[in-house]
Order: sequence, then structure tokens, then C-alpha cells
Amino acid sequence: MDLRLSEEERLVKETAAHFVARELISREGAYLKQRELFLPPGDPPRRELDPEIRSLLTERAKQVGLWALELPEFVGGSGMGALARVLIHREFGRTILPFEPACIPGLMANDENVTALVEGRLSLAFAFDQVHKSGTLKEVETRFRPESGGFAISATSIDLLNPSADLFLLPAREQGTNRIGLFLLDRETPGVSVGEVVDLTADSQVGRLTLKECKVKENRLLGYQYEAGEIIACEQLRLAARALGIGMRCLADSIEHARSRVTFGRPLSQRQAIQWMLADLSINLRTCTWLTLEAAWRADQGMLYFAVAALAKKRAARMAFEAADTAIQIHGGYGVCKEFPFEGFYREARLMRLLYGCEQEMDRISGEMFITEGAG
Amino acid sequence: MDFHLSEQEENLRQTVQEFVHDELVPLEREFENAPDIFEGTRWKTRARLSSDPDVKHYIEIMEALEKKADAKGLWYLDVPKEYGGMQVSNVAMIAVTEELEKSSIPFEFGNHVSNILYNCKGEQIERFLWPCVRGEKTSAFGLSEPASGADPSMLQTVAAPDGDDFIINGTKMFPTFADVADFVQLFARLPGTKGREGVTCFLIETGTPGYRVVRSIATMAGTEPCELVFEDCRVHRSQVLGEVGKGWDLNQAWLGARRFQVGIRAHGAAQRMLRSVAELLRADPVEAQRFASQVGRFAGELAALRTLTYFGSWKADQKMDVRSEAANVKLFATELLHHVIDFALEVAGPSAMRKTHAMARAFRHARSNRIIEGPSEIQRHIIQRALFREGITFLELP
Repeated sequence: MDLRLSEEERLVKETAAHFVARELISREGAYLKQRELFLPPGDPPRRELDPEIRSLLTERAKQVGLWALELPEFVGGSGMGALARVLIHREFGRTILPFEPACIPGLMANDENVTALVEGRLSLAFAFDQVHKSGTLKEVETRFRPESGGFAISATSIDLLNPSADLFLLPAREQGTNRIGLFLLDRETPGVSVGEVVDLTADSQVGRLTLKECKVKENRLLGYQYEAGEIIACEQLRLAARALGIGMRCLADSIEHARSRVTFGRPLSQRQAIQWMLADLSINLRTCTWLTLEAAWRADQGMLYFAVAALAKKRAARMAFEAADTAIQIHGGYGVCKEFPFEGFYREARLMRLLYGCEQEMDRISGEMFITEGAG
Repeated sequence: MDFHLSEQEENLRQTVQEFVHDELVPLEREFENAPDIFEGTRWKTRARLSSDPDVKHYIEIMEALEKKADAKGLWYLDVPKEYGGMQVSNVAMIAVTEELEKSSIPFEFGNHVSNILYNCKGEQIERFLWPCVRGEKTSAFGLSEPASGADPSMLQTVAAPDGDDFIINGTKMFPTFADVADFVQLFARLPGTKGREGVTCFLIETGTPGYRVVRSIATMAGTEPCELVFEDCRVHRSQVLGEVGKGWDLNQAWLGARRFQVGIRAHGAAQRMLRSVAELLRADPVEAQRFASQVGRFAGELAALRTLTYFGSWKADQKMDVRSEAANVKLFATELLHHVIDFALEVAGPSAMRKTHAMARAFRHARSNRIIEGPSEIQRHIIQRALFREGITFLELP
């Protein structure tokens, strides 16, 4: 057992930390203070990153190898393992600036669109809506059936978190056999429609995707049950890692604020109520850190890791939400101000808790497994 | 980063796994009705004085297990090499305990030598340390007092120098099994000192004039901690463990090393508890549906505790500062075990409160863990202190 970062892992982590501090956190102030469009009361305005800044950041991220992490280098990716990706996403989680490395699954390395995706000319969305409840493929209702030269896919409604994407990756169930297939679908394919796009409480949008007998070629079937499960586990690890970043940022800033803010003649840091909030947060953060790292390490070792990845995401997303909650409480009125990052983390983490498995349902599933198998 | 056990550690783990499977699991039914005294290492002390044939029967089983474990080279795992032991890593000891805890038989390897006794020097080694290593003598730990528990720096027992001797006066509360121990590791302070200064550790044999075990006190957990009184107890300076006035570090070392074992034991106990819950629920699908998500949540928390415990003990093996990790594990483990048992009783209903029921037993035993060796509140205090001292670097990866 050696839980120290290897030289290579340390280098990856430091590159990401450096990039996040220099390129992202330095731009946070301007981003958070941007003037927002007037919207009716009760409708929280959505912040966006300036498109020019986004493309500048994309270029710089590519230069330092923090782009398309999963893809091999010969198609322009960074060829990172799961542990390295966790280290990177953990750093990106520390900032509220909505910018992170493009996520293009490794199984797309041979797809005709891969270069366009890496270069940013096309964007990809995971249409995994039905998976968000349990974090498993059980509830996938999208259907496909083989046809001459390809497949036909149908779905009544899929909530899509990146509704402007050009390509959709989605799991579907074969009529009759019920086996899962993983498909790549063009937005332009006849039968694809994206309904009204609305703002979410987190700074992102959702649109409703419907598929009516969409015909795709044979080579658009990218995998089966396992590959679809792997996408879920990878997304869970990414979310868990981001959550760790949120936790680290909230804790760090809360410690700073508690040290300098004085009430009734003493700094907050000397108040037990404050000390314990932060002690409990640090315990939770440390526990989630090691769960996430262990899950990622298992993935790299080719060991079973789906269950640990699911657990890591469940706990870490919850921890990030509580971290943001604590940071808001300790910062008082500033905590809810949009000029500070904490309310943004609070909204983002609330959404993270609902993605790729919500807590109650994940608990129920692992509980049922524990009860039937008598093991954990 | 590598989470694998080393080859040596993995081999040891497998040996223990086989031992548990071959020797302990077959005894589980028989131990369902064993008296409380057979929890942990307690059978080695007071139980041996009992004339109850039932108790004697279980002692015989335990002694037979000890012989078998010894034959497999499992008895001196954590003893340093210079004392004939294997001196295995902290991580290995966690793996060993994790395997042992998979069985409900309260059997532990080794004679549980108080780790600070390895500071013995000169004739102390033959007089105190070796007999403990060989299992011939047991020791008690005298730190808490009537007015100082969670904060041991408030201890009031005084050791006044008098020529080559010290005269000790004071009262100690709660040393477990002091009434049957051969000697006590006693913490006292030099006259006129305060706080952590002047604290000195003495090794004092039972029967030394002026040292009395006044009484033993029954607790809900079946342990019987004692009250000790020292009245002008004269002790030679050769009985000072370590250095005069440097006893504080010893008491901290004693506490620190135990935390990760506490963590993995709590993990094992909670895991077994959750398994019995699962067994009950398998028989009742309606109830199973009702409680499944709570079972799932606890199973996840246990996995988290396990990871945290391995990380802390690995860090201890690297000789890094583990005070906050130790506090982390102690707090998380004892609170989690408490919640799991509470939940288990909720599922099992009133019949599980029968005194001999495994859940009722666990319920009685677990409560004190949130207090002894540093209550939960002290653990939080230790953690926040490190947090404000070191800032966020405190949580950076090693």
C-alpha cells in the first residue's frame, strides 16, 4: 500500500491546480459581478461565461493537456486514467467558473466525429435522463430495434442537460430482448426533436428530447450494457471529484473567514459552534476523498468499481452541498450574495445530488443487495 | 497511488482468513450464550479467577484457540522484532482485525502489551515488559481521576521526590481490571507543576504498600473499572517509565496508536450487526422494503469508514502526524457503530433486548466507546485545532 501520489500523478494534479488558479479563479470576480439580464422576479438569472473567454480557455487547456482527458493522444486527447481524471476534476471543482475539460468517452476514439468534438466544433450530450433516478440502467425506457443496415430508436421524452449539443450519447433497450445498447445520435437525424429549453436553478439549462423512429447506421451502436454502465460510473467519478473540489474551496474560504471575522470581541474561529461545523465538514471531506480515489484506482486496475463509484458520488455530492451550506452560514450575508461563489456551489451541488442516482434510490438499491446477498 | 496490500501483508491476511473460517466460525453457535466476560481480551483477566464451570468451559476453548493461533505464528504480530515478535505494519494489523471481526467470536490475537511499555529500560524490561509480552502479567492504565477525564492535563495525583524515591498521593478512576492486574501504569505530576508539565509515568505493582484498589465499579458494558487510592505510596525512581516529567507524551502515544484498531473493530461489529438485520429482513419482504434504504445507507457508511481507517493506519506506518486522522476515525467509527446498533434494534424489535441477544449485548458495549479514550467532543476539538493550525493543506493529498 502506498497512498502517496506518484510523480506522474503529482504532476497532473499540479498542472490542473496551476491552471485553475491562474486561468479560472483569477477570472471569477469578473464572472460573478457580471451584469445580468433583467428577468421577472422569482426567476433566477443565468450566468454565462463570455464565449471569447471560453474559447481562449479551451485553447490554453488543450496546450497543457487538460482536454478530452479520456481520449487517447492520437486523436488529440490526453489519455488519462481514472485516478488522474479525478485529480484534475477535483481541481476544476474549486472554482465556480463554468469551465471544465470536455468529456468525450474513450469508446468514441474511433468515431468519425471525434476530431470535431476534440476541436470543439461539435459538442456532445449524455442523454442519460432515465438513469438519474437510480444510477443504474434499470429504468431505461428508450427503445431500439435492428433494421436493415442499422437501428431505429424511439423515446417519448428525455430531459437533456446540455440541450444545445450536436451529438447525443444514449442508452436504449432492444425490443423483445430488453438488452441495453449504447448509441450515438446526430441532432440532425430525422425524428430527433429538442423541445422548449428552460433555465435550471443551477447555472445550466434543460431541454426535452424526443425520438421518433430515428434511423441510425450500424456503426452508431458503440457498446452494450457494460459500456453504458461505464459511462455512468465515469460520470459519477467526475461528479464526485468536482464535489471534492467544492468541498475544499468552501472549507478553505470558511477557515479564512472564520479567522478574520470578529463577533462580540472574538474571532469566529474561537467559537465552538463554528469549529464543530468545520470539523464535521473536514471529516466528511476526507472520507469522500479516499472513497473517490479508491474507486478511481480500482477502475484503473481493472477491478470492479461501479458500486464504489456510485457510493463515492452519492456521499461526495451530499458533502459538497453541506460544505456550501456551511460556507454560506459562516460567511453570513455575504454567503448568499452572488458576488461570492458559495450560493452558486450550493445550487450546483443540489443538482449533483440528483444526477446519476439520487440518494434515497441508491441507498435502497444497495440495501436490497445487502439484504439478499448478506454482504456489502 | 496503490491501495494493494503488500505481498507479505496479503499473505498474513489470508492466513487469518483461513483461521477465522476453520477455527472461529464453527464455534459461533456455541458462543451465542457465552457470558459477557468473553468480549475482547477480557477473558484473560478476571474470568480466569472464576470457579463457575460455564466460565471455565469457555476459557478452555479460548486457550485452545490461543495455542492454534500461536502455532500458525499469529500470536506475536504487533510485538517488536527485538522481543521476538513479527512487528507487522499498522496496515497489516488493520487487515488482521478486519478478518477476525468477520466472525462473532470475541477472540483477538496476542497478549495486548500496552504499547508504551516498550519504553522500559534496564531491569524494567525483565520486571514489567517481558512478562507482559509472554502473557504472564497484565497491566492497568491509570490516567483518569475523579475530577479529570477528557482533559487529563488536569490530573492532581502528586509524586513528590524523596531521595531516590517518590511519594505518591491521589486517586485514580476507571482503570479497567486494575483489581486483577499485576501492575499499574500510573500518571502523576511533580509537586507545583500544572497542565502537561511535570507529568510522570510510574510502574507500580499491585500490593505495593500505600496502593489500594478500593473497589470495582459495574458498568452497563460488563467491564468493571476500578477506583485506586494512593496514600503515601513509596516508589523507587527505577520505576519511572521513560523520563521524569516527560510522561505526557507517553499518554498521548498510548491513545494515538489504538484509534485505528478501534475504527476497524467498530467497522466489524457494525457489519455483523447489519448482517443480522439483513437476515431478519430476508424472512420478511414487506419489512425488507421498508428498511432497505437505511440498510443501504449504513453499508455505504461502513465502506467509507473502512477506507478512512486504512488511510490513517497507512499514514501512521509512514511515521506522519496522524493525530487528526486518529481523531477522525475514532469519532466516525464509534458514532457510526452506535447508529447501526440503534437501527438494528429498531428493526429487530423488543425481543432483541433480551440480555443474551447479540444486539442487546452490542448495544450495552458500544455506548461507552463514544466516551472512553477521548469522548466524541474531544475528537472534534482535536480536528478543529489541526484545521485552524494548518489550514486547508491539512486535507491535501500526501
